[in-house]
Amino acid sequence: MNRLKFTPYLFLLPGCIILGAFIFYPMLQAIWLSLTDYNMVQQNPNFVGFDNYVRLFQDDLFWKVLGQTILYLVIVVPGLVFLPIFLAILVNQQIKGISFFRSAYYLPVVTSMVVVGIAWKWMYAEQGILNYVLDIMGVIDEPVHWLTQTSTAIFAVMVVTVWKGMGYYMVIYLAGLQAIPDDLYEAARIDGASKWRQIIHITIPLLMPSIMIVSIMSSIAAMKVFEEIYVMTGGGPLNSSSTLVFYIYEQAFDNLEMGYASAAGVILFLITLIFSIINITFMNKKEEAMKG
Amino acid sequence: MKNIKLFSIMMLVTVLLLAACSEDSSNESSSDNNDGGKKEIEFWTMQLKPTFTDYIEGVISDFEKENPNISIKWVDVPAADLEKKILSAVSSNTAPDVVNLNPTFGSKIAALDGLVNMDEALSDEQKSRYVQGAWKANQLNGNTFAIPWYLNTEVTLNNKAIYEEAGLDPNKPPKTYEKAMEYAKTVKEETGKYGYYPSLDLSLVLQHMVKMGADLTNEEGTKAAFNTQEGLNTFKYFTELYKNDLIPREALTGDQRETIDMYSSGQVGFFAGSNFITQIKKNAPDVYDQTFASQSITGKSGKVTLSVQNVVVPNQTKHQDAAVKFALFLTNAKNQLAFTKLVPILPSAKSALDDPYFSELPEDATATDQVRITAANQLDKAEVLIPPMENYNKLKDAMHDAISAAMLEEMSPQEALDQAEKEWNKILSE
Repeated sequence: MNRLKFTPYLFLLPGCIILGAFIFYPMLQAIWLSLTDYNMVQQNPNFVGFDNYVRLFQDDLFWKVLGQTILYLVIVVPGLVFLPIFLAILVNQQIKGISFFRSAYYLPVVTSMVVVGIAWKWMYAEQGILNYVLDIMGVIDEPVHWLTQTSTAIFAVMVVTVWKGMGYYMVIYLAGLQAIPDDLYEAARIDGASKWRQIIHITIPLLMPSIMIVSIMSSIAAMKVFEEIYVMTGGGPLNSSSTLVFYIYEQAFDNLEMGYASAAGVILFLITLIFSIINITFMNKKEEAMKG
Repeated sequence: MKNIKLFSIMMLVTVLLLAACSEDSSNESSSDNNDGGKKEIEFWTMQLKPTFTDYIEGVISDFEKENPNISIKWVDVPAADLEKKILSAVSSNTAPDVVNLNPTFGSKIAALDGLVNMDEALSDEQKSRYVQGAWKANQLNGNTFAIPWYLNTEVTLNNKAIYEEAGLDPNKPPKTYEKAMEYAKTVKEETGKYGYYPSLDLSLVLQHMVKMGADLTNEEGTKAAFNTQEGLNTFKYFTELYKNDLIPREALTGDQRETIDMYSSGQVGFFAGSNFITQIKKNAPDVYDQTFASQSITGKSGKVTLSVQNVVVPNQTKHQDAAVKFALFLTNAKNQLAFTKLVPILPSAKSALDDPYFSELPEDATATDQVRITAANQLDKAEVLIPPMENYNKLKDAMHDAISAAMLEEMSPQEALDQAEKEWNKILSE
């Protein structure tokens, strides 16, 4: 009897070991490191209590990058939640060659971020195609320095994040769309509902579970944005495109302040945790409401 | 609820088990200290495979023949990964015995007391074999943390086609910052291209300041000393170049790779890029054919940048004597001379420099030959302009931020300089 009770956990064990080794153990260690002055070379770091946190809260740059991270979140997440819905509706049509378009939209997702970053960097360049096109369209008189002036750099990078992420969330929505029964649309058509009203009153409400998942995933992804910044701007000019993860990376691997970087990492963890909790409780309520 | 409890317990057990494992391994590694038999030295280089595989393997086999009780295990690491790999190796107590590192990164580890002091490990006679300027490049707080391997001095590469297009005389390349700005203006007006691309990556802002005659810190290295007319001139100079669109905007955020890319695509007239001549030859043969080398652009101080590549021996090595022996062998005159025949670099061993290879320009000289001869000619006045400093990265970033603010006209050059001084004094007093 007892043996039966433990059998399922035995099957969970391999997963637990992997999670423990690569997620939970490093996480606990980071929390410990954030209380020390560890610099990767000395073998026995000194315990410094909450010094790293105190320093962090007094660092103007930390607050600046935190603000920019939140800005990133506020702009990128709506883009990643709503644009892919329309993309998914577009590629959900039964027309010839549709699988080509589906793969084409998905292509950026599987392309290496470094390649994407460099390609976009060229497009954004002073003599790049973007400035060229805007110029012949008469929108601008002289080239815009997208990545090299403080007012536009972070927004230029956001565009790349959205562009690269869209295909991935599109696939999630596509699965959701295909689960919506056709008779609902049929009924709506008989009632004379326009295409737009069908989207608002059938598609969006029935996609709600997918929208929830995409919101959580894209918020967490936006909090952790790093590669595009590293490749495209290096956080510059004047740290105007730096975000929290990039800041952590700089502290850890350029300045070798592992303890300090871990402290910033713990803060990032707490922020992400709060987001996840809000999202999950919201989702549970919704589910209960639906069941009830 | 019960399930969650059980799950947490399992997680905790896993974590504890892992913690126990990690303790074990550190005890284990100290036990093989007294290995009486053959010593194995692990030697890391920075991106030398496959171009220099034959050369390095040749040096290793010569060494092993002379020292049958030592065997060398060669590991080649991509340049971009070297810093991270060496850090993780040091932090997990598995550091290699001999590593090729640059002074900047070497000084970071040396500041944390991670490298063998070469002043103690080498005799005076052994030390005297090396070029003085190169030896001094690796000193931090009075200790020498590395042996110089190979050197280079900064040489300007010029694109003859752009000179001609702009109506400039290719026989008179710019030697001063003023001239460089003048040429940049002419090139811009005549061709629409950029004449000059001074990179501001890495320590280059600091180097420009020193060349223009500013001192970075006071003698003791405790206070910033660059808030002077010379320092201000540097800030004003780059602000003017940037404001008048005489240098590419990417100078602010781009790294050196971008400089090379733009030069290789024929969009830049001249830049300090002697280190990259082989790359340009391979990737842009047309531009290479138009390229000629000239002496480094400098300012009031007349100083020229010397760059040094090192070999270091981490403290964690179990065979310090054998490691130092190999480092000396690798950097002896014979081996260095053979290396410099393969790639345009200068040897750090004095006697190798006497070879006519470094003083006589061959007939039908290529740009590569010109780079080598020009670089060697400058060696007596070249020096490492930025000494190894603690918290170097923060200092460098503070200066870069300040000059960026001036160039983007968010502050006046004087305000930016004041800000940099304030930041430096704060960092230096840490």
